[in-house]
Amino acid sequence: MRSWQSVGRCALVAVACMLALQLFPGEIRGHEIKQTAVERRQVNIPIADFTLVDQNGKPFQFKTLRGKVVVAAFAYTTCPDVCPLITAALRQVQSRLTKEERTESHLLTVTTDPEIDSPKVLAAYAKRYGAELGGWSFLTGDDAALRLVWKSFGVGVERKARGLVDHTPLTAIIDRQGVLRYAYIGPSPDVATLLGDVRSLMNERR
Amino acid sequence: MLTLLLAACGRNERMDALYAQRCLNCHGVTGRGDGPMAAALPVAPPDFRQTVEKKGNPQIRRAIAEGKGLMPAFDPALKPSEINDMLQMVRFLSREGRNVSWWEKFDALVVAHCSIPWEAVLGYEEPAAKGKP
Repeated sequence: MRSWQSVGRCALVAVACMLALQLFPGEIRGHEIKQTAVERRQVNIPIADFTLVDQNGKPFQFKTLRGKVVVAAFAYTTCPDVCPLITAALRQVQSRLTKEERTESHLLTVTTDPEIDSPKVLAAYAKRYGAELGGWSFLTGDDAALRLVWKSFGVGVERKARGLVDHTPLTAIIDRQGVLRYAYIGPSPDVATLLGDVRSLMNERR
Repeated sequence: MLTLLLAACGRNERMDALYAQRCLNCHGVTGRGDGPMAAALPVAPPDFRQTVEKKGNPQIRRAIAEGKGLMPAFDPALKPSEINDMLQMVRFLSREGRNVSWWEKFDALVVAHCSIPWEAVLGYEEPAAKGKP
């Protein structure tokens, strides 16, 4: 008899909870977005060589890009705020470069979430954005290797939950000698300005 | 038994938290496509009240799991139960401020407790567009 009473009480509590949830669904509070304008800085920071893994699972050595102007962005595939805008901006940069300019430049997307962003996940992400992979590499690696890369670019990364990371929204332009020259910090770098900076570095004497 | 089944169908804090973390930036608090990031996007996010009613659950689930346009593919990061929670939230928000058909009231029950993809079984699931994200 007692067990039936407790079942009845549980059912009543369940009904009450259900009604409460339907009637007072609660106010949703999103995580804070620091949506500010993109800040463009001129800097002069040599970037040490590093080796990560590309979207095909093959080792990728940064120094193989010497002689090319490199646009490097830091993003992760399940990012619900700024990363899609940054990747879309890089896609536009790539599509606006001439054939000749493409041979003298390279784009990099470096993940800030290696836990999720395996080469396979990055390959799918690249495909969704229509990246031309001859001139654009999507890089991941083990946590230790990536931490060194983030540090050398001054990118702060903080994991919030699985597939949710706070990070510095950096898009960087590196000259032919491997020196970081322009740093854009913000959600959506202006494509025309990015292209202008890329072209100015291409026109510098080798 | 029915009460317990129904109890698991309401909108809850877990769904709200998930929505707030992963969707709100673009889709907005009420799902009208007016989140804080929306203005910066090249294409405005949809208003759930106008777009979700005619879509099947597999179609919405696929958009959440595999991404659409600039929306990320959440499949690598979330559990199937979390993607179901997102789907439920999309449905709940799509019903706010409009007349709800009687059959829609059972939808939460089906999503919460039934893993059979009825749209696919009955043959009216909309196939994914080829070559489109």
